[in-house]
Amino acid sequence: MKSFIKSIVVLSILVFGINNTICSQNSPTTHTVLIKKMKFIPEVLKVKKGDTVVWINKDFYPHDVSKYDDNAWHSSPLDKGESWSKIVTETEEYYCSLHVVMRGQIILTN
Amino acid sequence: MKTIKKSTNQIFAILIIAIFSNISAIAQDKVTLTDPEVASVAVVANQIDISYAEIALKKSKNKEILAFAKRMVTDHSAVIKQAVALVTKLSVTPKDNAVSQSLNEGAEKTKKMLNNASAKDFDKLYIDNEVAYHKAVIGAIEGLLIPESDNKELKGLLEDVLPALQAHLKHAEMVQSKL
Ligand SMILES: [Cu+2]
Repeated sequence: MKSFIKSIVVLSILVFGINNTICSQNSPTTHTVLIKKMKFIPEVLKVKKGDTVVWINKDFYPHDVSKYDDNAWHSSPLDKGESWSKIVTETEEYYCSLHVVMRGQIILTN
Repeated sequence: MKTIKKSTNQIFAILIIAIFSNISAIAQDKVTLTDPEVASVAVVANQIDISYAEIALKKSKNKEILAFAKRMVTDHSAVIKQAVALVTKLSVTPKDNAVSQSLNEGAEKTKKMLNNASAKDFDKLYIDNEVAYHKAVIGAIEGLLIPESDNKELKGLLEDVLPALQAHLKHAEMVQSKL
């Protein structure tokens, strides 16, 4: 009887553990894009629907993150060290509306 | 009217060539610069572009020219701030020199030209000058200021400024192509 309870406990720990791993694989993750030397790094980022992307400005010039090219969504200007995040629900092209030649892409993957 | 425009453009072309040849002549003469002199050239080159932008902010009504000029003020001020912070940290005082003086002389002529330009011609003259000026400054940083810097941090700051100047150049060319 004792060994039965023991194996139940072991089993439930195992199942719970596996469940947990599966859950964390499906749960949204956070990706970081650095804004450095007038570039979004990486320029192309692959994410899953619902993931969060955080942009961090490492330059001493202000930059922003804006939907290309209608600014339908956008951050405010980010000073050095400041960051901004967005939950991604679709494939997006974006740019810095202050330095219009700076471009980036987020691609949804399944 | 056409002749007037043509002659303005010719005068302008001559001015640009003068600025370029000044810088390349200096580079060819193998002028040696000390770090305080490199710092002075860097600060002066940024101040000049701010002064052009200030004229544009007063004279232009074009949205893209105004946005570009505003960006030049912000970014070149940020470079000056970094340069001042660095020379303060290194206890270096920027020192006036032949290159800084030549840049300032060229800038005086260009500012006069921009200030005297008609409202109709201004935007093109301004953005053409921005394209030429950023090319010249990129050339001067790569060919003169970086090789002449002894201090690693000063060299590093100049190298960090290049991507911004290249982005400004592309931005200026974009605005130029839409005029
Ligand atoms: Cu930017």
